[in-house]
Amino acid sequence: MTARPAAGFRDFLKMLLLLELWVGLWVTLKNQFRPHITVEYPRERVELSPRFRGVPRLRFHPENGEELCIACHLCETVCPDDCIHIVSEKKPDGKGKRLVSFEINYERCCFCGLCVDPCPTKPLTAIYMSHDYEMADFKREGFVAPLKVLLNGVDPKDYKE
Amino acid sequence: MFRTEEMDINMGPQHPSTHGVLRLKLTLEGEEVVDVRPVIGYLHRGVEKLSEHRTYPMIEPLTDRLDYVAAISENLGYCGAVEKLMGLHVPPRAQYIRVVLAELQRIASHLLWLGTHALDLGAMTVFFYTFREREMILDLFEAFCGARLTYNSMRIGGLYEDVPQGWTDRVRHFIGIFPSREKEYEDLLTVNRIWLGRTRGVGVLKPEDAVGLGVSGPTLRASGVDYDVRRAQPYSSYDQFEFDVPVGKNGDTYDRYIVRMEEMRQSCRIIRQALDRLPEGDVRAKVPKYIKPPAGEVYHVVESPRGEQGFYIVHKSGEMPYRMRFRAPSFVNLQALPVMCRGRLIADIVAVIGSIDIVLGDVDR
Repeated sequence: MTARPAAGFRDFLKMLLLLELWVGLWVTLKNQFRPHITVEYPRERVELSPRFRGVPRLRFHPENGEELCIACHLCETVCPDDCIHIVSEKKPDGKGKRLVSFEINYERCCFCGLCVDPCPTKPLTAIYMSHDYEMADFKREGFVAPLKVLLNGVDPKDYKE
Repeated sequence: MFRTEEMDINMGPQHPSTHGVLRLKLTLEGEEVVDVRPVIGYLHRGVEKLSEHRTYPMIEPLTDRLDYVAAISENLGYCGAVEKLMGLHVPPRAQYIRVVLAELQRIASHLLWLGTHALDLGAMTVFFYTFREREMILDLFEAFCGARLTYNSMRIGGLYEDVPQGWTDRVRHFIGIFPSREKEYEDLLTVNRIWLGRTRGVGVLKPEDAVGLGVSGPTLRASGVDYDVRRAQPYSSYDQFEFDVPVGKNGDTYDRYIVRMEEMRQSCRIIRQALDRLPEGDVRAKVPKYIKPPAGEVYHVVESPRGEQGFYIVHKSGEMPYRMRFRAPSFVNLQALPVMCRGRLIADIVAVIGSIDIVLGDVDR
């Protein structure tokens, strides 16, 4: 543990010469020459790590471009905020189910990533945490993302409205 | 003649130095504090009640939001409690990674405390430097679990994923440069006469008072009581690491500062040992898809950066807990505030609130 400053003649001299002040100023001087770490946000962006958890979205199959989701309702069950709402129907050929609608309410979503955990599609999960994080909108309805938005993302908005 | 009488004034709930929505009713005799009565509950979200209607994996995001500057400690404590209830054995690699995460979180939390505490007492420079270093830790967490504040980093039975490629080297890089940075904060503060004047002898908490009030964590250790959950009741293989528990002498604000600074050094030491001996293997035990623990009750404590963080679960049947209780260290430490402030000046209250390092999300739950 760091020793407490004791009272003595040498300490008195140190105090008189404002030694601790010069030590502190030397630290601030050194830091003047370190590289800047501030990121000027709208103009430049931080680099996100591959595991970054942004807005949850659905994805297409990388090869045949079909929807990956098999409408198993697992993400809906496990979601702690009840923000996922799925409607599914039986496929015409009777095998399995397919999506009618898939909605995520971003007003409720807490970006915990628990929905990705049980997703059964392999090797890529149908639902994934994307790297989008700018989701401001002018209307509350804009926060309920329908299937089309979940699959294709949103177009960059004109914020001049 | 001048009329003199005691005066009641409010400090907070919106006050820059109460670190959140804490309201203090002060009774003043001039500048001198006669009594302090904390009024809490402005951030109450009913997390304990909410837990009763959620399955066990769903509760973990809630624990992130208790003590939101040290969310990994909460995750660790909660997962530990459920694992204890289920009798699960966590793989050693997951235990070691959890230790690395928890100690990084301790450093990040203490850095946030140091920056804001120094800012309260008029030293602005330290704030910028500590947040620069804290940012490096948050980047490490983002690389590990994808989030920067509410991590949800662990799962019952281990971790969601193993650490990414090159992550351990980044942690090593951080603990390599951190001690020199910590030396800089010490150069700025430890012997600075303004800092000494504001902190030494301010807010003295006697060891018997500290034990009597149930205070824990660095606040307790600064009063000279040598108690650390990591050593007293080791969890997540903390018994396999060598570290010192710093103890203060006088129990004043300065001692609490010194104890936390030393804790950051010890955290670096634990991280280095954990990375050197990181075992191979799985990071997640075999856990059933639907977590249904046996009926019973369990209490599990971890040493969070603020003190003894306890999780008490009563389970009767099904997938949800019957009753959940969080022992919040900030809540208990806050009740030592009147003892520390009585008879001091009003400006010292700011120093004392800063030094007990409360998080209002943890106090109100």
